Amino acid sequence: MTPQRDRIAPIVASLLLALVLSIIPLPELVDPLRPYWVALVLIFWCLETQGIITLGAAFLLGLVMDLLTGSLLGMHALGLVIMTYLVTRFRPRLRFFPPWQQALSVLALLVNDRIIVVWIVTLRGDSLPAASYWLAPFVGMLVWPWLFLLLDRYRGTSRHRVHS
Amino acid sequence: MRGDALVGAKFSGQAALTARLMMYVLMAIVLMAMDHRGKYVPRLRAQADYLVEPVYHLVEWPVRALRGTWSFFQNTQSLIRKNSELADQLLAQQSELQRLVALNEENRRLRALLDGSEKLDIEFQFAELIDVDLDPFSHRVMIDRGKDRGVEVGQAVIDGNGVMGQVEEVNLHFSRVRLISDPNHALPVQISRTGLRTVAFGLGNTARLSLPSLPREADVREGDLLVTSGLGDRFPGGYPVAVIEVIDRAEGRMFAEVLARPLAALDRGREVLLLKSLPAPPPTEELLPAEAQPGLIVEEGADAASTTGTDPPADSSEASTDVSLMETATEVNEIGDEASLETDQNIGSGDGDSENPATSDSARVDEANSTEQQP
Repeated sequence: MTPQRDRIAPIVASLLLALVLSIIPLPELVDPLRPYWVALVLIFWCLETQGIITLGAAFLLGLVMDLLTGSLLGMHALGLVIMTYLVTRFRPRLRFFPPWQQALSVLALLVNDRIIVVWIVTLRGDSLPAASYWLAPFVGMLVWPWLFLLLDRYRGTSRHRVHS
Repeated sequence: MRGDALVGAKFSGQAALTARLMMYVLMAIVLMAMDHRGKYVPRLRAQADYLVEPVYHLVEWPVRALRGTWSFFQNTQSLIRKNSELADQLLAQQSELQRLVALNEENRRLRALLDGSEKLDIEFQFAELIDVDLDPFSHRVMIDRGKDRGVEVGQAVIDGNGVMGQVEEVNLHFSRVRLISDPNHALPVQISRTGLRTVAFGLGNTARLSLPSLPREADVREGDLLVTSGLGDRFPGGYPVAVIEVIDRAEGRMFAEVLARPLAALDRGREVLLLKSLPAPPPTEELLPAEAQPGLIVEEGADAASTTGTDPPADSSEASTDVSLMETATEVNEIGDEASLETDQNIGSGDGDSENPATSDSARVDEANSTEQQP
């Protein structure tokens, strides 16, 4: 039981930080560039651990995100569930991609997510987002390798602590 | 989901995964549909919001701390400058306040003359915006007052310059406010110069409101001030909303395309005022038949204004009488609702300064006339 909890603790902590980062205020100019932190962190844990980031976990996380941003309940949940599904499906391949190729896959995942969101938003009758809305996935792609290294290191230290 | 069948056939695990995906997708869609239709989910959502509230505090805390240190290190010079600026502003506003006292007096007199009901006082409550970025598709902000301070759904939110929006969701310590620029927001307004009533819609842009239901021949000018009309029972009447900026009267269309610029600092304000919802008003003038209450003239004037708006342009003499009627309506409404309006109007309309005294005088005369004519 305890090892399981030790495996989950860093995941929860990093996801919580990602949630905070996704609603922390940014200047209006930079705001459209904000990467989808929650998705990036989720992708990382989905790639690096097995059996923890299930579709259900992604769904719950999406609901929390919906509550936080006050968006339609289920919107982020849908996006994250689909993203987790894709990552889980192609996990064996994604894991052994070189970093740049992995970053490109992350870009594809993020763009796919934005398409889902825009689809929902138009169904709902809200106005379409500005063109800058599509910049965020690219920022996410650029951030990915660094985030990967950072989280990998973080995971390494926390695992180390557990064993010692 | 490409190659679903292929992989699914190979690994039963994959098939199970796909099945679970379908289940969650379906769940998400049902949730969204229910949330959109306002069935059950909103209530659940209000409960669940308590759970995520700590995250807001987590976000708010470093921002506050940063701002605190910033103001601590601001040098004295800039503080002195700001202080003198504020003193100037205070002086200017005090002189306006004096005028307001006189206007208030006049208003009471006129209302007594018209046998109208006394206007209810409106209570204010200060609130501050919480620095969080919400869903980019709807224009909403969060304020740091909630149920514990007696905030209620539907309360109007204004800032120093104009109407900002209305409270949409109330939680224990915070509330969400839908801004007037939200694409799903409609605000009943009237043009303060003519009394013409219409509805201002948000466009998803903090610098623009749209007035799609103004007839092409309507008496609208660039620089006209829009104020809340008080219809719809959400916003008290007479608060400045926006200034008309663009009017496009293209041939062959029924309606003019009118855009207005909101006066409130929708994208950069921090301090806001919550207007305490009005206590249930006694049967207002609007609802009573004309014979019962001479005060109705006000409303009739406004109605006349909106009907003349829809008619094709009449010849000028007729139009002018209508205009004077409209002015009567506006004048009374204006003084009744908000004296500060007059000053705003001066700022809002470029040529207002030269015209205003004359029109208000003539309006008063007209008003006397119409009061006599009515019975």
